[in-house]
Amino acid sequence: MLKVDHLSVAYGGLTALSDICLEVRAGELVSVVGPNGAGKSTLFKAISGVVRAGSGSVTFEGEDILQTRPFQRAHAGIAHVPEGRHVFPAMSVQENLEMGAYALADARKREELFERIFALFPILAERRRQYAGTLSGGEQQMLAIGRGLASAPKLMMFDEPSMGLAPAVADTIFERIAQLHKEDGMTILLVEQRVAEAMENCDRGYVLQTGRIVMSGTYEELSSDDNVRRAYLGM
Amino acid sequence: MGPTVEHLLQTLSTGILVGCLYGLLCVGLAFIFGIMRVINFAQGDFMMLGMYIAVGVTLSFLGFLGASAPFVAALIAGIVMFLLGYLLHLLLISRTTGMRMSTELDSHQSQLILTLGVALFLQNGMLFLVGSAPLAQISSLSYSAWQIPLLYDDVSAVFINKARFLDALAAVLISVCLFALMRYTRMGKSLRAAAEDPEAALYMGIDVDKAHRIAFGLGAAIAGIAGGLIVLYYPAQPYVGLDFIIIMYAGVVLGGMGSVEGAFWGGMTIGLVQQLATLVIPLQLQNAAIFVVFVLILLVRPNGLFGRSVERA
Repeated sequence: MLKVDHLSVAYGGLTALSDICLEVRAGELVSVVGPNGAGKSTLFKAISGVVRAGSGSVTFEGEDILQTRPFQRAHAGIAHVPEGRHVFPAMSVQENLEMGAYALADARKREELFERIFALFPILAERRRQYAGTLSGGEQQMLAIGRGLASAPKLMMFDEPSMGLAPAVADTIFERIAQLHKEDGMTILLVEQRVAEAMENCDRGYVLQTGRIVMSGTYEELSSDDNVRRAYLGM
Repeated sequence: MGPTVEHLLQTLSTGILVGCLYGLLCVGLAFIFGIMRVINFAQGDFMMLGMYIAVGVTLSFLGFLGASAPFVAALIAGIVMFLLGYLLHLLLISRTTGMRMSTELDSHQSQLILTLGVALFLQNGMLFLVGSAPLAQISSLSYSAWQIPLLYDDVSAVFINKARFLDALAAVLISVCLFALMRYTRMGKSLRAAAEDPEAALYMGIDVDKAHRIAFGLGAAIAGIAGGLIVLYYPAQPYVGLDFIIIMYAGVVLGGMGSVEGAFWGGMTIGLVQQLATLVIPLQLQNAAIFVVFVLILLVRPNGLFGRSVERA
């Protein structure tokens, strides 16, 4: 579904990503793990077009999306749930979700999706009329996920969904993401610092270090690797 | 001796009518400065252009409409200014906004210089084209008034100038339409989203560049319409924008950045203060009174009348 081929990104002379190759097949949950500053968010931003790619290609369902304008990528079926949530603070929860559904023309489908979102996160239904800026961090993360889901995406990209959240809240978020994958069959690309949780549910994973992919494989392969175990899993 | 009741009511009614026009002007700037956070020094000159366009089209081909011609002309001025604002943003302003600039301060500095240049260009361009003689919209409405008798005696009455009243009515109607546009329509919401968080708006599939252009065009259009209305009682000359630009910024800040409704009430407050001040202090000081009240209100409500802090502490 998504294929990143030899992608390189540089910011003002500094190489942030070099020669990244990565693939997400339909129905998979793929995790990208790695330390701070490894280039995980840059990878997502390059896919979404906020950061300009230097070389390489990104194909989504056979189409080279680097040739399309950034806002069109949501219309193509990619939902990017950004790091730090980025909800619209002075808009209500309902309005945030409507913005999530901006790329979705079908009104009936939208109502269906809103119901699904409120079933996953009942708190959002309760807070429908409230300004998103007044929500707690965990609620904002739920809203950001709901907002991503509202466009009926083919692929959802989650950037550090647990960042800044209390462990119990982060666990809920991970559960919901796993639920989306299992119950809704959602294709997911997940970037996360909490490696154990990120790998637990994934079909395959990539380890990103200083802008390069140093390892990839299934959960079993990665978690049996001594380096990964020592560096990331604390085993 | 203090002002009489008659005098007070006359001043109050003028204040409200002027306040509606200031409100509309502030709503226009709110789109550009309050919502999109673009500093636009040329906003007063957009109004000035609106004044000239309105007078120009009335004189050249709206004569057959009679008394309603100035209002149709104001709408035409709005449409022309929308296109002009849209193009100006596309060609120039967009180079100083958005994710190209590293910080908001960076973009504000370049917007300041750029729009100051546009303002000078428009002022001097109009001086070159039409000269400096003041030009007013000639309409019988400007010279006629409704006399509203006050019931407590037989002689007292308040005069409502017809042009000012119809101007105010038009200003309120247009403002209400804009509030509804921003609050309830998909386009209005997408403009707010693009302004609040351009990066996230992009992830939603909103064409953020276009949203900014539309907001800038709308802001210019509203200034144009307001100019077309104001020229019914305030003559146009190439530097007329300078009389109004400060009022617009004060109104937007007073109402609360980011709030279109707030900007309207900010403008209204300024109109009222400006007129009511003449009751107690010399006429020349009426603009000083505006800023005394401005500072006092911001001391009590730093976010403005309608500003709110929605971030969690």
